[in-house]
Amino acid sequence: MFKHLFKLIWNKKKQNFLLMSEMFVSFLVIFAVFTLMVYYYNNYKKPIGLEYKDLWVVNYNNTYNTKNTDSLNIFYENLRQTIKSMPQVKDVSFCSDNVPFSQNQWTGDVYYKNAKNGADNYIADDDYQKGLGIKILEGRWFNKEDAVAKTQPVIINDELKDKLFGSEDAIGKLVGTEDKKFNLKVIGVIQGIKAKGDYSPAGAAIYKRTDTGSYRSMGKMMVKVTPDADAAFEGRLYKTLANNMRDSHIEIEHMPNKLKSTNLFNIVPMIVTLIVACFLIINVALGLFGVLWYNINKRRGEIGLRRAVGASGKSVSSQLVYESLILATLSLIIGTFFAVQFPLLNVFNLQAGIYIIAIILSVIFIYLLVFVCSLYPGKQAAAIYPAVALHED
Amino acid sequence: MLKNYFKIAIAVLRRRKFFTFISLFGISFTLTILLVLTAFIDKVVGDTYPDRKRDRSLYVSRISQVGKDATSSGPVSFYFLQHYAGSLKTPVNIAISSGFNGTNTYVNNKKIALNFKFTNAAYWDILEYDFLEGKAFNKQQVDNADKVAVISEDMKKEYFGDMPAVVGQYIEADNVKYRVTGVVKNVPITSYMTYSDIYLPYTVAKDGDYKNNKGLQGGYFGILLANSPSDVDKMHNEYEAMVSRLRPEEKWATNVYSHADTYVKAYVDTGDEKRSGTFIAVTAISIFAFILMLLPTLNLVNINITRIMERSSEIGVRKAFGASSRTLVYQFIVENIILTLLGGIIGVVLSVIALQVINSAHLIANLELTINFTVLFIGLLVCLVFGLLSGVYPAWRMSKLNVVTALKAQ
Repeated sequence: MFKHLFKLIWNKKKQNFLLMSEMFVSFLVIFAVFTLMVYYYNNYKKPIGLEYKDLWVVNYNNTYNTKNTDSLNIFYENLRQTIKSMPQVKDVSFCSDNVPFSQNQWTGDVYYKNAKNGADNYIADDDYQKGLGIKILEGRWFNKEDAVAKTQPVIINDELKDKLFGSEDAIGKLVGTEDKKFNLKVIGVIQGIKAKGDYSPAGAAIYKRTDTGSYRSMGKMMVKVTPDADAAFEGRLYKTLANNMRDSHIEIEHMPNKLKSTNLFNIVPMIVTLIVACFLIINVALGLFGVLWYNINKRRGEIGLRRAVGASGKSVSSQLVYESLILATLSLIIGTFFAVQFPLLNVFNLQAGIYIIAIILSVIFIYLLVFVCSLYPGKQAAAIYPAVALHED
Repeated sequence: MLKNYFKIAIAVLRRRKFFTFISLFGISFTLTILLVLTAFIDKVVGDTYPDRKRDRSLYVSRISQVGKDATSSGPVSFYFLQHYAGSLKTPVNIAISSGFNGTNTYVNNKKIALNFKFTNAAYWDILEYDFLEGKAFNKQQVDNADKVAVISEDMKKEYFGDMPAVVGQYIEADNVKYRVTGVVKNVPITSYMTYSDIYLPYTVAKDGDYKNNKGLQGGYFGILLANSPSDVDKMHNEYEAMVSRLRPEEKWATNVYSHADTYVKAYVDTGDEKRSGTFIAVTAISIFAFILMLLPTLNLVNINITRIMERSSEIGVRKAFGASSRTLVYQFIVENIILTLLGGIIGVVLSVIALQVINSAHLIANLELTINFTVLFIGLLVCLVFGLLSGVYPAWRMSKLNVVTALKAQ
């Protein structure tokens, strides 16, 4: 039976070629859309890795003018105590400029034996983990004793651990940020923080502890407040900060708002893509429907003859549906061939699983689309009476 | 002749209403999406408020220091603009402004988040902001480091509420009180080189970066103004020559790159010497537009073939009476163009509605998208290309039809 259907398709190869190329291009478009969606969904379902509610970030610039590192440290320790003594403040921590949900990024390679992997570099102090509510998977966070540790301690996230150590244990191992210089000791593994919003991956990250000179280059302060902290309190906090750091510009931002605007960078392209894809699909569906419908009208004689020699209405309509599904299969084979190149050549550095799921989803989608579009024309064909159809000729 | 074709086209369109609907739907929606896209691009890079002297301006947005395996790139320093760019002969004036930075202010226990930007006095001469009241600060006030500010319309509304005139009032920002000298019309945030809520003299900047930072990189943008549009090339060359004489300040760096470019080029400058931002932007937009148009075109070709084959008897009769293939192809292309133009008109109407919706959704504050003549022209052009593309192949196939088979078909 399939051989027969192939022959029918081959006889009208010119018209079918156009139909097939349309299905082929639709498949590629759908594949791109599904890849994006699967990628976003994959990231979305992972935990965000920090408690951003009631978390504020203060942007300042270090303008405390001194050559003496000790007095600089005393200045910021005093500032920390002043802020922490406010009733609504739970925790205060200082860190490098690349706070979560900001545009700042600081990347570098991390080495372990022969392995190497790019990672986001962060500098954070002892209170950072508590303030942000970061989950520790293994080992511990920094504490005061680390200041006198022989080898500089670092903390990595789960992603970096997987990349560098695999299933090995990471705690106590030596890594380096320069090749062949393994001078950093891993003391903890934390759950990754999705610093680029809900829809982006956490990515590998390494945290170093603030040291005596760090205050010179830092410009962010994370403040965890109680849920009842309102604008009036924020105004007081602002005044306190401004009075302590007279030459600095100060801005207080709320992490939930920052997350929202960071997410927009992913959501807006997603919505635009979806709208455009929807329109293209409606367009293609209408086109397929129209062409199939017209074809049936042209083949009334043939269909009438089949009915006359005893074919049931069901078999006539299923013949037409099969024909379009075979056409779809042919274009899907070509389309899949192109789509498979993405995971094989590792084009955008995505996991192969994402592409495979996207390919499967798009194949199902195209089949469904073609099936739905040929259903009505098929039904119409089944309603053709042999007497009427044959009489016309 | 054309009138006849027109009549035939309308008659054909009315015969198979479903097919007509599919064709018009495809054309008009594709056009709508393209029009919204071009309106957006046109607004973002083509809007000349407040820099109306674009034809004789060059923009300096970044400087990069490039070494073997590291690059440091970012906005230029105030010192660089004043001393190096300031030493050039061709520019008659240089506008210097910082990038915008955020801060807060608290009024009546309400928090207002705002962006501020530092400028020199020449900034207000080169850029023609529309002042709703008051005027800009002048050179004297900048030199004296007066605490004065020009604020945007939105800022006025948010900070002062319904107060009719605010010139002379004080606005508190970043814990400092500034006297308002003028209120300007809003600039959307997409014009990142000129956008801000509050504009301040650079001399009141708390961090003193403008006098302490003697390096190349900093946080400032510059606009170089030439005497006339014909001097722009000269100015560009002079700037490039000046930059090529610069030495990197970082030890690991071997080269310094910086360009004084036209607005669009500066807007998309990524600081990467090998891959220009313009190239990336143009490629991305073209690929998007190509895919967007490819599917509806294929669809239209499919539909058109179906429709034309339906008319095989008409073609057969015309051919039998001596019409040449060329006349027939011509007729069908004209018919198709009429169809696409019809779709185009619907598309324009849909675009107006879509733009209204986008504007009222306030996706980006102060970004008022409108259909202008450039966009309309592009839209019509797209329509014609569309019509030709989807009409030529079916018409060609039809014209090759044999008279006998065509007549026998019915």
